[in-house]
Amino acid sequence: MGNTTNPYSMVRSRVLKVVKETPTIYTIRLKPDREVPFDPGQFIQLTVPGVGEAPFTPSSHYRKPETLDVTVARVGKVTDRIHQLSPGDEVGIRGPYGNNYPLEDFRDREVLVVGGGVGFAPMRAVMYGLFDIVSSLAKLLYRGGCRNPSELVYREEMSRWFDRDDLNIVLTVDEGDETWRGPTGVVTTILEDLSLDFESAVAIVCGPPIMMKFSTLKLLEMGFSDSNIFLSMEKNMSCAIGQCGHCRIGPYYCCTDGPVFRYSQIKQYPNIWD
Amino acid sequence: MHYLSHDRLRQLLEKLTSSYSVFVPVEDGSGLQYVPYTSDLEHFDPGQVRAFEPLKLFFQRAREVVAQDYDTDLPGQDKKPVCVVGAKACDLKGFKVLDHALLKGEYEDPFYKRNRERNLIISCDCTTALDTCFCMAMGVKPFPEEAFDINLSPVEGGYLVEAGSKKGEALLEASSGILGEPDQDMMAERGRTRNQVAELVQANIEESGVPDRKSLEGAVRRMYDSEVWADEARTCVECGACNTICPTCHCFLLYDQKNEGKMERLRIWDSCLLKGFARVGGGDNPRPELWMRLRNRFEKKFDFFPEVANVYACTGCGRCITGCPAKIDIREVLGRLVSNG
Repeated sequence: MGNTTNPYSMVRSRVLKVVKETPTIYTIRLKPDREVPFDPGQFIQLTVPGVGEAPFTPSSHYRKPETLDVTVARVGKVTDRIHQLSPGDEVGIRGPYGNNYPLEDFRDREVLVVGGGVGFAPMRAVMYGLFDIVSSLAKLLYRGGCRNPSELVYREEMSRWFDRDDLNIVLTVDEGDETWRGPTGVVTTILEDLSLDFESAVAIVCGPPIMMKFSTLKLLEMGFSDSNIFLSMEKNMSCAIGQCGHCRIGPYYCCTDGPVFRYSQIKQYPNIWD
Repeated sequence: MHYLSHDRLRQLLEKLTSSYSVFVPVEDGSGLQYVPYTSDLEHFDPGQVRAFEPLKLFFQRAREVVAQDYDTDLPGQDKKPVCVVGAKACDLKGFKVLDHALLKGEYEDPFYKRNRERNLIISCDCTTALDTCFCMAMGVKPFPEEAFDINLSPVEGGYLVEAGSKKGEALLEASSGILGEPDQDMMAERGRTRNQVAELVQANIEESGVPDRKSLEGAVRRMYDSEVWADEARTCVECGACNTICPTCHCFLLYDQKNEGKMERLRIWDSCLLKGFARVGGGDNPRPELWMRLRNRFEKKFDFFPEVANVYACTGCGRCITGCPAKIDIREVLGRLVSNG
């Protein structure tokens, strides 16, 4: 591309809204000074000024780039500070980075989306993309799982997804409570009994590494082709432009060659799930 | 080819100080260190061996501010470019890796690029070898063949000089008044010195048993589950010296700080031996054990770079051997990989 501008400079953005999805997961709505258009699957680096930056996949609609939602689990220094943000606060964004899901290639095919835990966040952007082309998909299925009902994000919106005729959706929790009426068990338990043409169907998987690993193994067992399983890989990413060396997977850098990989691309490399 | 006497080299460097920060190698008791050239500097020697510090430090700085607030300008661009005198072939080979890592992808590193374009490299043949030198096992000769602007070959009374770039040619043209004609004796002397140094390096290679490039093909992957890694990592103290001192290691970390009300983003050299190198936000670490990180260093150098850039990310400079407080010797590790343990 031959970028001569500074790859480390950021777009100034304002916090518009903070939604407390769960005690540990917040969604922050941002208004960047200039638009940061992205495609589903791509990620941005979000900076809390003077504290540091961390990578997130936007969870908002890619066709509405005037604002940007990021759904953030509190896990460390930067995300702690992100959770302290209030409307009006200033943050920085750079990006978008990485590749995206080849959604156009999914037309006429059966598509299964599997999201786990905070992996719901990037999957929401993917779902918006799939909803846009849903009339041309052979089928659209969503299978989601998280540890317990209190960890479920986007509750209101998800409940509307259940009303859609063009989506077959099942959510599970590892451990239910008195409010939970859906199935219990890890996400692989609701991958049983799918009626799909496994050889040609496409699966998109995002979630914690352990969930991605067992979901992938399950999908392979069901007959999915390893080149039809798309994984959103999580690695330590500092520069996001393929130079700092942190996010290597075999011969790839997750930030520029990914974060979306076909399982067939990376399966031969050791320790991809760690 | 030209001839340049010792005095004339000083004259040339004197002239270059107006447009460059000129650095020359000086022996300080612990090795050759690059120091700023000044006219009252009594002694410096462009020859000898590679300096203690890797050449990369003039191109990818160990610590630099890369962004301020929301400015899109590149900070720190008012500095003079650097002229490095006495760079050695092993360090120049490092550019093959650095250029690939920092310039050949979808994005270019504008800081590195600017330094590559503006800095001037006056390299020099090695005139001796350290016990740890094994460049020839990595396909590098102990005299520069490429990636320099001007190369010096020490001969009696001065240097044989040749240009290796347009910038070097222009500089020699502009300096024609101080250049002389080389004679046959000088050419013969250059050949003799080069052969002598090559013999020293070859003897090192044979003594240490470091394998050649051919036999290293696929060795890391073949030995991925070997006990060699845990065994070699026993004494590692996770200091990261092998990374910082390496002419091809380029991994870095960004961090932010506030400075006088401004936000600064800094870039510092990082080390893949450090525990947190690949740890992700939630705390998961793909390489929790030190031996895994040691293995990763070899994977990157002898598996990743051959695959993506057709080059081993090792130039045989031997600095990591000298720099390691645990006495981990890359030549022995490579030897064990090839001999299956």
